[in-house]
Amino acid sequence: MSDPRYEVYEAGLIGEGMHEPPVLPAGLRRSPSGVDGLRTEHLVVNMGPQHPSTHGVLRMLVEVDGEEVVNAEASIGYLHRGIEKLAEHRRYDALGTLMDRGDYVSGIMGELAAALAVEQLLEVEVPRKAHWLRSLTSELNRIASHLVWYGTFGLDTGAMGQFLYAMRDREAILDILEAISGQRMMFNYVRPGGVVRDLPPGIDAKIRAFVDGFENVYLPEHDALLGGNEIFQSRVKGIGVITREQALAFGLTGPNLRASGVRYDVRANRPYAAYPELEFEVPVGETGDAWDRYLVRMEEMRQAARLIRQLIDGMPEGPHAAKVPKVLRPPAGEVYAAVESSRGETGVHLVSDGSEHPYRFHYRAPSLFALQALEEIVPGHLIADVVMIIGSTDVMMGEIDR
Amino acid sequence: MWGAGLLNGLWITMRNLLRGPITVKYPHEKLDLPERARWAVAPKRFEDGSPRCTACMTCVRVCPDHILSLEVETREDKSKHIVRFDYEIGACMMCGLCVEACPFDAIEMSHEYELAVTDPKGLRRTLLADVDAASAAKHREEKPKAEGAAGEAGERADG
Repeated sequence: MSDPRYEVYEAGLIGEGMHEPPVLPAGLRRSPSGVDGLRTEHLVVNMGPQHPSTHGVLRMLVEVDGEEVVNAEASIGYLHRGIEKLAEHRRYDALGTLMDRGDYVSGIMGELAAALAVEQLLEVEVPRKAHWLRSLTSELNRIASHLVWYGTFGLDTGAMGQFLYAMRDREAILDILEAISGQRMMFNYVRPGGVVRDLPPGIDAKIRAFVDGFENVYLPEHDALLGGNEIFQSRVKGIGVITREQALAFGLTGPNLRASGVRYDVRANRPYAAYPELEFEVPVGETGDAWDRYLVRMEEMRQAARLIRQLIDGMPEGPHAAKVPKVLRPPAGEVYAAVESSRGETGVHLVSDGSEHPYRFHYRAPSLFALQALEEIVPGHLIADVVMIIGSTDVMMGEIDR
Repeated sequence: MWGAGLLNGLWITMRNLLRGPITVKYPHEKLDLPERARWAVAPKRFEDGSPRCTACMTCVRVCPDHILSLEVETREDKSKHIVRFDYEIGACMMCGLCVEACPFDAIEMSHEYELAVTDPKGLRRTLLADVDAASAAKHREEKPKAEGAAGEAGERADG
């Protein structure tokens, strides 16, 4: 084959035309020496973009020496839709429809980030009830999102049943969110000024029933099924360590940062919506390995359930949205608003020129930073651990490629 | 003890087995959609069967994906005639912004969710064709009868 890109994948084969060392992609090294006079070479394995463990369409170019990874390169862009550019042609109240499709597993938080940014520009006072409804839907969505992570993380290890149990519980949340917003994943519920609609009648009881069941029966079951499993423990403990310094240097946020021992949570450190009025704990890990990331996310689900209970009990009366003009024309300016999504700090940097459409819209995706850290932490691990490490960081290609 | 967690896992799986199925046999059995569920856009009509649409073009302007198109003829007496009201369902993301924006409650997010087609032509629908648009007067006439029924569309703007 004449194309050097294809020669790379045949580097491990012995045949004619392979006497010349194949051209390796930039950044990849070759094994310096053979064993017992046999010529050995590093093999470049192309993981993805259609690999079931890559959570979307992530392509990892992994250079292996036997079973051990010596170099890894993440290649992104397979899900690029140009959300930031599209936003420049959307009206401000339709930005949520784009954010839903960024991190499509936790859409409410994305919508909220966009809405907070627009509200900062407009300087609108949001009613208290809108804040509470935003927090309520965010926390429901956080559990749904963490359940997807929990399920797929187990799939990466080879477990199957717990994935289906996680999907069963997520379905209950999606039913609740569908009743509130009208759709299961692309909610389009949070808007500049508040939320679209108040809670439908009778949903309180449904949410309470769900939280009771989830907190007392299903979540302990999930934890016992995966976290209590000794095979799973020996599989994840000690792999994919991200030190505190590395986490800060890479700009990680969310559970990945907290697992490394840094107590930073946008909900607690720069509160928004109803969080200043609520009680919750920010769990942190110690070593920053995959097991700590597992523990932090499981605890976050418990805390989210606790928050939902508070939110339902203390739901204030009043309007669910502030009066905003039908066509939003925020004054010229530049703002940044951030929320704690399931994956970390989801931020929106918005530049307005005073027209109907944003001049510039930037979407800070927390998974992008986690993915960059992966290239650093994956080398030195066994190839089988690579999928575990990717799974433990909960990267979401929808928001990385945008 | 090493292995206790594994046995516990088997026990949990057994418990889940006894809980019975949570799925239904679609398409023989269907779940009810919540009232707010948003699916394909559908036109609404007056009791006499004439469309509620006044061809004001608000939905066409509001749609983020620009998939609604309305071809209108204005007669000499300024009444409007809808030649075609097209809807490209294949590109619709069912965000519901058009329905929220409609000042006359003339379209709705229907509960029609089985939208698969075997012919790409089915991805483009004609909601209304060759009908007279409703006049504002007709809406005013109806208003005392259905007080509050049209409140949903204007809910957001009213706070």
